[in-house]
Amino acid sequence: MKHRRRTAAWQLNLLLFPSALILALFIIYPALYSVYMSFTNEALVGPSARDPSLVGFRNYLRLFGDAEFWNALYVTLVFVVGSAIIGQFVLGLASALALTRRIRFRSLFSVFILLPNAAPEVVAGFMWISMLAGGDNATLSRIVMFFGITPPDWLQVFPLWMIIIVNTWRGIATAMILLSAGLSTIPQDVLEAARIDGARPFQIFRRITLPLMLPTIVLYMLISAVSTIAVFGLIYTLTRGGPGGATELVSIYIYNQSFTAFQLGYGAAVSVIVLLISMAIGIAYVRMMAVRV
Amino acid sequence: MPAAPSSAPSSARRRQRHNHGFLSYSTLLLISVFCVVPFFWIFLSSFDGDAQLFLHWPQQWTFDNYTRVFTVEDGGLWLFNSLFIVGCATILVVVLAGFGGYALSRSRAWWKLPFLYGILLIRVLPPTALVVPLYTILLTLNNWESAILRPIFGGLTRDIMRWTGFIDGYLGIILVLAAMQLPLALWIMKTFFDSVSPEYEEAAIIDGASLVQRIRYVLIPLALPGLAAAGLFSFIFAWGDFLMPLIFLSSPELQTLPLGLFRAFLRVNEIDYGLLAAISIIYLLPPAAAFVFARRFLVATFTGGVKG
Repeated sequence: MKHRRRTAAWQLNLLLFPSALILALFIIYPALYSVYMSFTNEALVGPSARDPSLVGFRNYLRLFGDAEFWNALYVTLVFVVGSAIIGQFVLGLASALALTRRIRFRSLFSVFILLPNAAPEVVAGFMWISMLAGGDNATLSRIVMFFGITPPDWLQVFPLWMIIIVNTWRGIATAMILLSAGLSTIPQDVLEAARIDGARPFQIFRRITLPLMLPTIVLYMLISAVSTIAVFGLIYTLTRGGPGGATELVSIYIYNQSFTAFQLGYGAAVSVIVLLISMAIGIAYVRMMAVRV
Repeated sequence: MPAAPSSAPSSARRRQRHNHGFLSYSTLLLISVFCVVPFFWIFLSSFDGDAQLFLHWPQQWTFDNYTRVFTVEDGGLWLFNSLFIVGCATILVVVLAGFGGYALSRSRAWWKLPFLYGILLIRVLPPTALVVPLYTILLTLNNWESAILRPIFGGLTRDIMRWTGFIDGYLGIILVLAAMQLPLALWIMKTFFDSVSPEYEEAAIIDGASLVQRIRYVLIPLALPGLAAAGLFSFIFAWGDFLMPLIFLSSPELQTLPLGLFRAFLRVNEIDYGLLAAISIIYLLPPAAAFVFARRFLVATFTGGVKG
């Protein structure tokens, strides 16, 4: 029996090995390699493409003095707070609460809310071009004109607001699913007891639902913050970072610097900063999970 | 429900309930409209003989846009490439995550906890930040491969590299897409196997079944729901990804649906909106269908990633 158990241990190691190898090769090694690259002048074209050399902290010095980089960080921060922390959360919570009631067309509503999440990034970006671009003919312009408001050129006047709305639209479902799961863990008898004691619905929400949901909410915020930092295709198809960098998320900035301006070393330096920020959020996430794993 | 002490508060409560029903309906209705409206244009335009950038009711309904995707454009090739690449990546993820998740669930080794925390941390690394070093690494691998193959196969090298190349080849993009989906899939499978009692396997061990037999006759049948969930999510996310094909594929014969759609949109002066809408619908249907199947796994998966 003892011998058999030892065999099982190496067999388990063997089963896990291919996954570990792929993760090491395609995620961990690149993440570490980006640190090395950020100290070189590696490029896709030109003399340094053939013979990259170490340049010390030059990329980082350039980065900290680069207004475009700070702009990209700022745009990303507003984007994450606006769409993940506020937009998706509020609408996701509202739909999760509404769906806890036994109402008709329940599954139809949830399919509608899931639909934006099923659309591939490029298709979603493309659909929103028709919603927002095209002046008075854009769908959103016609909707506000119906209410007697003169529509602005959405993507020119409120570009950052617009990408926040678009990303909110895409992520309501994720928030709704996570928060529904959190809601379903609240014991029904507690709610019932509060109701019998005459608590008003808002009081129940404020004093019981919200505190009991807090761990779920914090986890949701951490996950959605990290995944929103990674958003690229949706916004790239819609605005390509324009106008004038107003929607240039840090992911789009990395892409432009590395694959349009061909400066891989500098792109790697920006990547390192983004990896560090994500890791910081990730460590908070893992520490919260540590109680539960 | 407690017995109502008198009729007055009960009717007040009923009115309150009624108000809530109304509030829930209007909330859901508004959010649903917000979610669905952008789809109208793409759906109508794909059947419209005279599609424009703005929403309008088609004057002439036609299938012509769809036929043109396959006759005028290389839509068939794009669809094949997408299905082949994402299909292979999904199968790879399911196999790796099935084995790996089992090992992670059953192992009592010292590395188990660090590995699990590692997976969670890996999941938060944004692909956009990994893509620059990944590109450089795969470019180096690709050059090595080509340096080895060229002396042997000469002119045939490009044809072989189309399949086995790391940059602009099927192998590279399949491995990259699989690697990006693997952490979530491993997590799903690990949590799934945690809920499967080890007694089934112990019974099989007592009956003298080898590891291969145990996997074939006990574990795979038990793990099917988990494998389905992991596979569906890998498929949906890899299918919708735009960044990886954009970076790692360039030659026309390797174009996938997102690239075809994006590049058709870049022909600024002659954008054919009907055609674009038709490609979009074709590209949208597989993940939408997968979502319908995946719906019952959704809660388990998203909380699985959270609750453990």
